[in-house]
Amino acid sequence: MISPNTLVILLGTTALGTCCGLVGALMLLRRRALLADAIAHSTLPGICIAFLIGGSRSLPVLGIGALLSALLAASLVSWLPRVTRIRKDAATACVLGIMFGAGIALVGIIQRSGMSGSAAGLDGLLLGRTAGMLRSEAWLFGISAVVMSLIIVALRKELLVSCFDPRFGLSSKIPARSIDLLQTSLLAATIVIALPAVGVVLTAALVIIPAAAARFWTDRFDGLLRTSALLGAASGIVGTLISSLHTNLPAGPVIVLSATTFFVISLLLAPGRGWISRFLQKRSRLQNRQLRRFLDGILSSELGGSTEVDRQRLLRASTAQNRRVLSNSIRGGWVQADPHRIQLTPVGRQRAVRARKALQIWREWLTSEASIDRDLIDLDEQDIEKILPPDLIETLQKSIDERGTS
Amino acid sequence: MTTTAIEIHDLTVSYREKPVLWDIDATIPEGSLCAIVGPNGAGKSTLLSAILGTIHPSSGWLKIFDQPLEQSQELIGFVPQRESVDWDFPVDVLDVVLMGTYSKLGWFRRPGKVQREWAMECLDQVGMADLKRRQVGELSGGQQQRVFIARALAQDARLILMDEPFAGVDAATEEAIRQVLLDLKNKGRTVVLVHHDLQTIEHFFDHVMLLNLRLVAAGPTAEIFTRENLLRTYGGRLTLLDEAAEAVRRIRTGRSRLGKDR
Repeated sequence: MISPNTLVILLGTTALGTCCGLVGALMLLRRRALLADAIAHSTLPGICIAFLIGGSRSLPVLGIGALLSALLAASLVSWLPRVTRIRKDAATACVLGIMFGAGIALVGIIQRSGMSGSAAGLDGLLLGRTAGMLRSEAWLFGISAVVMSLIIVALRKELLVSCFDPRFGLSSKIPARSIDLLQTSLLAATIVIALPAVGVVLTAALVIIPAAAARFWTDRFDGLLRTSALLGAASGIVGTLISSLHTNLPAGPVIVLSATTFFVISLLLAPGRGWISRFLQKRSRLQNRQLRRFLDGILSSELGGSTEVDRQRLLRASTAQNRRVLSNSIRGGWVQADPHRIQLTPVGRQRAVRARKALQIWREWLTSEASIDRDLIDLDEQDIEKILPPDLIETLQKSIDERGTS
Repeated sequence: MTTTAIEIHDLTVSYREKPVLWDIDATIPEGSLCAIVGPNGAGKSTLLSAILGTIHPSSGWLKIFDQPLEQSQELIGFVPQRESVDWDFPVDVLDVVLMGTYSKLGWFRRPGKVQREWAMECLDQVGMADLKRRQVGELSGGQQQRVFIARALAQDARLILMDEPFAGVDAATEEAIRQVLLDLKNKGRTVVLVHHDLQTIEHFFDHVMLLNLRLVAAGPTAEIFTRENLLRTYGGRLTLLDEAAEAVRRIRTGRSRLGKDR
């Protein structure tokens, strides 16, 4: 049974997950995943200072502190590499360490200064706590998610070009600086509102993991944003539900673990890019290649004059591998075989001829026209016909024929 | 009288106090096909960036169609080096070409039917219309280059800069780019490109800029593209280059290459 209180928390974490997913996708595409981590950790000193000055742990006060120190961290990360010889990754790591270290020190000072009763609230910010989420906070998260989605939808083309090719964006008068600033602000805002629920340490994980998982499912910009937002929201829902069933479990880590579960599922099961699918592709590619070689061998001897191949001789010439390929190709209808002889079926012959032709064309292309691209060597005939445009195949065929006749 | 597309005056660009371009003075007339030539590290790409306005010179100024660069609203078409972007990016061919239409759309507006049709036209010009839905990572290197060219065409700019468009492409792509360049020239557009193949320059480009940190020479190819100037650009390395080029030429004899059969 879901209590109204849980419902509020659910709304809040769902909205939160959506925000994180959206911003995470943008960060992933800009290769700034680490920036999320740095900014999240850098909010701690801001929170502590806000607490010391403001004297309360109300969310708006701490939130402003967190936002200010997040923006300070972000500008340090972009400024340091420009004025020193420190590279971007090193700058990010430095800022993360320094700011988080300062934050931890401040937490220690606050705890020792006798305000320990209120400092307990600060501890909650480290790992996150959804149980006490107020209705107003949940609304804030919901509105943030809607606003953020609207901004991203409205600025889709500006975001796309500055993620893919920022220099081109500049050349077509799209102010990369402003877009950059916007993205960083979105990131900082998302992190700040996610802090109370997920905590300083794990917010970055909730930003990046859904996006990384989404990348397995799609090859399109909009698709990535949508999938990432969806996975973020789902992580929020699942994490909240699980942690509300077990009162001992803090919500932040459970939400992040849910996201991680989605990531692992995507990693394994996603069609095309997932591991299992990749493994199957690789295996079928290997089998295809063996089959091709096998059929080609028979085709060669057929072209050499004999209409059939001695089964024993063929199998003797090789190993167990050929036995398997033979039974596969009988099953596939590529060859006919009796105990002594093997013969290509019409379909098998057609396939062998097509493969041989494609391979010839491919070889011609690689040796004469192309700069050798290592990814493109060793492909199947389907790939070859897919990659090369038909007119080029024709030209190549012509040049092969010419060489053959001359 | 021909107008000037690019006027460069006293231009110096430095990275961290070290000049990478020094005291460049040159003009490129409108409608010309200009090759920027020089050894590696000569500052060729930096010069393009300066013209684009993506890096700021430490001294000197640039004018684009007689307007100071900072005030110019002129759109400059741009083909970056292929290696400058992440081709695993989740985006398809048509979306990349559509980026060429962004600047004319203005903020918040999305490309619509008109832009898509125009982008398809540009894709068709480089012979890639069939592949519009392909993810860009699934293309061969030459096809990726052609996508970039189509994007620059979609910008429909009077001035187009290309950073080594011929680097590492197959013959079909080379032919496609060559055709595009000729079309642009016939339309009176100005194209400035960084180019490496010295063999083809004389036949194809009407202007050259010889660059090696400093400007060695710039002007009409017939006057500027001399052995003497090349020697000054490449220093002692030219002899080596000569031999290599000669060897390559011998191997390639009989095959139609860029510029040869113009």
